[in-house]
This record gives sequence, structure tokens and C-alpha cells, in this order.
Amino acid sequence: MIPIVRVTNLTKSFSRGSEKIQVLDNLVLEVPKGQFLALMGPSGSGKTTLLNLIAGLDSPTSGSIVVGDQEIGAMSESQLARWRTRHVGFIFQFYHLLPVLTAYENVELPLLLLPLSASERKRQVLTALDLVGLSDRMNHRPGQLSGGQQQRVGIARAMVTDPDLIVADEPTGDLDSKSAEEILNLLVELKRSLEKTIIMVTHDPKAALYAERVLHLEKGRLVQEVFNPPSSRLAGSIA
Amino acid sequence: MFWEQLDGSLLPLVRTPGATLQVTVYEFLIAFVVLGGLAIIPQSLFYLGFILRNLWRNKIRTALTGFATIVLVLVVTLVWTVLVFLANVTSEKANNLKAIVTERWQIPSQMPYSYAARLTEGAPREAGDVRIDSANDAMTWAFFGGTLDPQNRTRENSLFFFVMEPDRFLTMMDGIDEMSPADVERIRAAIAVMEKDVTQVMVGHDKLVAMGKKVGESMKISGLNYQGIDLECTICCELPEGRYGQAAVMPRERLNRALDEYERKNRKAHPLAAKCLNLVWLRVPDTKAFQQVERQITTSAEFKSPAVKIETASSGVAGFLDAYKDMLWGLQWILVPFILATMSLIIAMAISISVRERRKEIAVLKVLGFRPAQILILVLGEALMVGGVCGIIGSAGTIAYFNLYLGGFKFPIAFFPAFLIPNEALWWGPAIGLGTALIGSLTPSLSACNIRVSEVFSRIS
Repeated sequence: MIPIVRVTNLTKSFSRGSEKIQVLDNLVLEVPKGQFLALMGPSGSGKTTLLNLIAGLDSPTSGSIVVGDQEIGAMSESQLARWRTRHVGFIFQFYHLLPVLTAYENVELPLLLLPLSASERKRQVLTALDLVGLSDRMNHRPGQLSGGQQQRVGIARAMVTDPDLIVADEPTGDLDSKSAEEILNLLVELKRSLEKTIIMVTHDPKAALYAERVLHLEKGRLVQEVFNPPSSRLAGSIA
Repeated sequence: MFWEQLDGSLLPLVRTPGATLQVTVYEFLIAFVVLGGLAIIPQSLFYLGFILRNLWRNKIRTALTGFATIVLVLVVTLVWTVLVFLANVTSEKANNLKAIVTERWQIPSQMPYSYAARLTEGAPREAGDVRIDSANDAMTWAFFGGTLDPQNRTRENSLFFFVMEPDRFLTMMDGIDEMSPADVERIRAAIAVMEKDVTQVMVGHDKLVAMGKKVGESMKISGLNYQGIDLECTICCELPEGRYGQAAVMPRERLNRALDEYERKNRKAHPLAAKCLNLVWLRVPDTKAFQQVERQITTSAEFKSPAVKIETASSGVAGFLDAYKDMLWGLQWILVPFILATMSLIIAMAISISVRERRKEIAVLKVLGFRPAQILILVLGEALMVGGVCGIIGSAGTIAYFNLYLGGFKFPIAFFPAFLIPNEALWWGPAIGLGTALIGSLTPSLSACNIRVSEVFSRIS
């Protein structure tokens, strides 16, 4: 399969005073188009840093990251911002919806950066909200929605620009088990029907069962790779 | 699926049409900011709504910041009103100059009335000298202070007359162009009455209210500076509120006759009889003519005892304002900058707190693809919205309250009873508000657009 993400000899380190902290160490990774990948590992293993680097939120210390046909490690901040708008959708653990905007307006936000007419935007927002089953709540503000509903708005916001890649940082970490299951099933459905590539960071082994492939990181290195059989992915329950 | 149709190249691009206009620099700057803003931000209405909602989110903070801006704009507007007015009256004009003749060595100036005839002509002696048209371009001044009740004198029952040739009120006095045409016509009719009957007087609106008098009523005024001279007067006209609201006008002939009568009754001249000409105003066409008239008057042997001096109205006022020099300097260079700095600090603090509270949201916007410049516009927009709107409210409110309700800003300086806030103040407010908001919000805005997304989210994790 054609890889949509190619990470080559990726290193990321931070300086804290005179101390140098190596978060990712010479990492190599390929993610094929349309794959649902889970990144697991203990705290500080570098999984969120890897996710941020693949999503263009941070720049590597060395190595290369190619997403689609773009080498994103060399892009400026503005170039990365433009690239993210079109190519990456984000799903956060704590949803991070803007509290002053309605569900509709939150989903519309990324579209405002694209040259679309108002009617085009409206059509896309309504389709995205319909996809996550929240058309009837589009005029509600985040404070008027449950955690699961807020996360579904977050997913609609991530999907609305039709990105190639969806990155999710602990998308079920703040949800009860029932809502978590709904969200994971929704991600699986997005992957299946729209052939989206999804990279999800999770601590939860049950959530990881929904992914096709699970990578374990420790101290900035890939230590284990597991391919889940279809039967486990179709279990449909993490309770 | 609509996802497959998302091809930017097929979608219309919004472009702002250009236009060629002949505009002033000020209009150009406004147009530049507005059109620039619209061009940079294709979804201007969304941004506007977003800015408003963010301001609405913390109503108390927005209200307090706005209120502080309004109050400070009010104070700056009042100070600038006084300073601009004084700058105008003390700036030398090149044409149509007003010259003031006074006693050279004494304040208050007290010249004999016998000087009037020659001074109002400009004291020409030889062919080629400048001769002033004394019937139109000159007027004499005396000041008569009086009271309705000499036994129980109060501020309310006392008044101050300008003693002058009545017809010069409309042709020589300042501020006539600020009066309504109806007021001018009323005064013109009253002048005609005063020229026929010298007991008729005009009194300002505020003074009439204070005295409890109305047009048509008579009153007996006991002289305060002209002790022993009591005048029976009839009020024939009310001067409008504002510059002449506290003043009163009496015909020159009335004082002259009263002084004559005093001498007849008492068999001696009144002590001020030979000192009843306080000022002479002359209107000269230009600086050259003024210098010539100055030479004619100061070199004339007719005005040696007492000696006289002549100066332009602006330099006369400037000389009078010398006593206030330090205070005016302090207003201009200490108070106003201090207020502007305070406004900037208030806005800086409000926006800084707001940015600190919303670091996470700003980071989310960046994740979604908002570029640093767009974040900068969003944060600056909040500050500019508060500064601009409250600046407009501040200056419009100041004009409405002081000009329409109070009849001007009553600042006790020199002989100016009240300062009307000029219409130009309508743009002072927004300019002050926008300027201080821009300065105050620059640092927090830059810090907002430099927020590092990975740092914000690593802290949350």
C-alpha cells in the first residue's frame, strides 16, 4: 500500500537548562493510506510528540517527515498552518471547542480559512454534523452538550475540510465507557466509509483494539508492533 | 460525497475591487484600514462576530475597560478643548487683525473717554497714515459691575455689563458665528431698540435665570465699581447660552449720561469719570496696517498721560495667559500623556488577562490552521473594538453633555466663561481610543500569535 506518512530517522530533543532530553530517537515509521493506527506507550514515551510532529505542530530536531507528498519538517509556521487546514484534522482529548461558538460555528471554523462561499460552507458543515449524528444540536453551545456530544462535534470539525489524515490524541480519555465506544465506532466508520487515515494516541488497550495496527513506544523508540485481527476490531465493545 | 468535491481551484475566490478616489490623508487612512481589513480577512463578518462574542464573554471586564476608556477620553477631550481654544485665540492672524489699545502702565486699564475719538480712528496725523473706519472697525469698552441688591449682594444678583456701542456687538465681538440665525436676528432687533432708548440692555440667559428676571422686566442696578451710580434698565433681549450666557450689554451712551448726571447732582465729577475707557478695539486689514497704526498711536503726543499701548488681540490674550503658563504646560505635557499612558495600560492589562485565559483556545485556532497574522487581528480586534467604540461614545457623550446640557465646559481660566467642545472632538475620541488600544494591545497580541501549540497541549496533557 502507498504510505501517506513516512517518518525517517526522526529525532526530537528538548533542552531543559543544560540538560538535553531525547524524546524521540531515530524513529522510522510508515503509515499506509487508509490505515487506523494506534500509538501506545507509557507517559513520556514520546507518542504525543510523534503525533504533534506528524501533524505539523512541532518541528523535528533531525530527520524527515513526509505526509502525502509534502516534506513538512522544512515548512515555515505559516506554510504549516495552511497545510494543516487542508490536510490534517485534529481530535483532542478535552474536545477544545470554543465555548462562545455554537456546534455549527465550531465545525465551520476551519472552513473559514478556505476560499468557499457561504452556501458551500453551510452544506459541508451540515453534512459533517449529520455524519456524527448531531444535526439537531447544531445551535447548541459546547456547555449545553455532553462530553460524548462535544467529542462528536470535535470529530465533525476534524472531518469538515476533508483532510487526508486525522490525528486523535486520547480521544476517549475524558469520556465514560459508553461514549468512548460510540466515538471509537464513529472513527472506525469514518475510516471504513471515507478511507481516512487515522493516527490515534491512547493509553487504553481496549481503545487500541479498534485500530488495525498498534505501535508501542518506549523512551522515544518503537518497541512493538501489533496488527489486530479483524475479529477483535469488530468486537464492538470496550466495556 | 461532498468530500470529493472539495477542490479549491473550482471555488470562487473573493477579491476586493480597487477604487481610485481623491481623498484626504485622514480619509485615506480610514479607507486603508477598512479595505485592508476586509481584503486580509475574507470572512470579516465572522471575525467581527467572534470578536464581539469574546468581549461579551467577560462582560464585567469589558464594561470596566470600556468605562475607563470613556472617562479618560472625556478628560482628554476637555483638556484638549481648552488647549485648542487657547491656541486658536493666541495664534497670530495675518489678515483682519483685531488690535487692542489699553493703558500702558496700569492694570486694569483706565483711560479717559476723551481718547476714544482719536483712538478709534487710529490716530492718523499725516497724509498716508492709516485711518480706521471708526463707525465700523472700532469699538470702545468699559466694564460696569452692578447688583440688584447692594445691601445683600450675592453672585446671583450681581452682573457685569460690557459698555459699548450696541451695533458693534454683531460686527466686532467674537463667537457671533456660533449663534443661530434666529438669535442673531433677535439681537439685531434689540440693538435697534438700544440705539433709540439707552436704558435698554441685553442680559445673558444664565444670568437672567440666576436673577429670576425675564425680557421686558425693569431693574435697578447699583454700581459696584462705579460707586454712587444707580441705573434703571429694561431688559430688551436675552443673549443665548454659551459664551455670553453670564454677560450683559449696555449702550456706551448710557454710562456717559450717568456720569454727566452724577457731576450735575454732586457738583463734582465721578472719581472714574476720567477713567471710563477701559479698552479700544480696532480692526486692521493686515500686519502691515497694524504696525503702522501702532506707530501712529504710540508716537502720538495725544496719548501721553496716561500712556497707551496697542497689541494684537492674540498677543494680548497670550500676555494675559502668562499667569497660567505653567498650569497649561502641565495639562498638555503631564496630564494628557499620563492619561493616554493609563488608557494604554488598562487596555494592555485587560487584553493580557484575556489572552492568558484563552491560551488553549488560541492554540486550538492555530491547530486548525489560523496563521499568526490572523490570530493577531483577532486579539487586536478586541482591543480596537473596545477602544474605538468607547472612544466614540466618550467624545460624543462629552459633546452632548457639555455643549447641549451644561452650555459648555466651565473651566475657570482667564476671562473665558465656558469652552464649547469643538465638533472636531468627534474624531478625537475614536482616535485616542484606537491609538491607545493599539499601543496597549500590541504586546499581548504578539504574545498570542507566538503561542507554541505543542507547549500548550503538553501542559494540558
